[in-house]
Amino acid sequence: MEVSKNSFKTLSEPVKQFGGLVGIIILIFLTFFVLNNIFGEGDELVAKMKIEEERIAQERKLNKLISSLPSGVLVSFDGTDNFKLSDELYEAVCKATKLIPQRAIMGANFLNFRAHEIYTINGNKIDETFVKWDDEKNKCFAGFVVSGNNVGVDETVKVSGEALSFLSTGIDTRVYFIKNF
Amino acid sequence: MKKLIFFILFSSLITSLALARSTGCKEGNCDNGYGKWVYTDKTTYEGEWVATKKHGQGTETWPNGYIYKGQFKESQWNGIGILFFPDGSTYEGEWANGFMNGEGTFTWSDGKQKKGIWKNGSFQE
Repeated sequence: MEVSKNSFKTLSEPVKQFGGLVGIIILIFLTFFVLNNIFGEGDELVAKMKIEEERIAQERKLNKLISSLPSGVLVSFDGTDNFKLSDELYEAVCKATKLIPQRAIMGANFLNFRAHEIYTINGNKIDETFVKWDDEKNKCFAGFVVSGNNVGVDETVKVSGEALSFLSTGIDTRVYFIKNF
Repeated sequence: MKKLIFFILFSSLITSLALARSTGCKEGNCDNGYGKWVYTDKTTYEGEWVATKKHGQGTETWPNGYIYKGQFKESQWNGIGILFFPDGSTYEGEWANGFMNGEGTFTWSDGKQKKGIWKNGSFQE
């Protein structure tokens, strides 16, 4: 022990400094290795990051597509002067759409009186909205959930139907017509 | 910086004024008589008014494509009227309190029809 201590003392200053640097690097690696084993998620984390990256890339692609659409009403059916979406665009717009404005909700409520009643008494409050692409039916479905919980009515109504038209604002797209009949 | 704040406030004021001018009673008499009202969301009503309420014959057009042509009572769809859905489907018949109530015919955009008695928007089998 004494011999190795003495031999260390005899080493030149640059060698000592290099040895110290290597030691610190090894210590850092070891620290991260130990921390990663304790708190790290390893492969699981990498997989999550990949999914997130893919999601961001997909979102960017959809945003680019939406900004390329004309502003105004976009429809998936014939017989109007509005911009007619191709099958591919219809699917893309459906997947990119998250909002359902009040007029679309009021329109869908024409065929669901109870939903209208609850929507009126709860102060036009919507608990949940959804826009989903159905791969099996190759159609876009949208809907909403209204409940009277905030006014003491223990009842919830879900209204859903085919989303047949959208509104493009240039920034986002919104469901404009839910065909629930 | 002060110029930027002033510009933002001035732009907001102009936008609000422009928006306010584009809504409300645009033509005619919307108190008692015949007039056209434009709502903030671009819904329009053109027809008869009694005591500032939609009353009598009129047409209400929603921005998302619903068009109701017919009778109004106390600002609600009441009486005989026809509702055009955005996809081309229609309901023609009786209305009460803003809903299909009474005798009426629902025609889908493909021509299929359902005729009979309706209660609060539901067909009575």
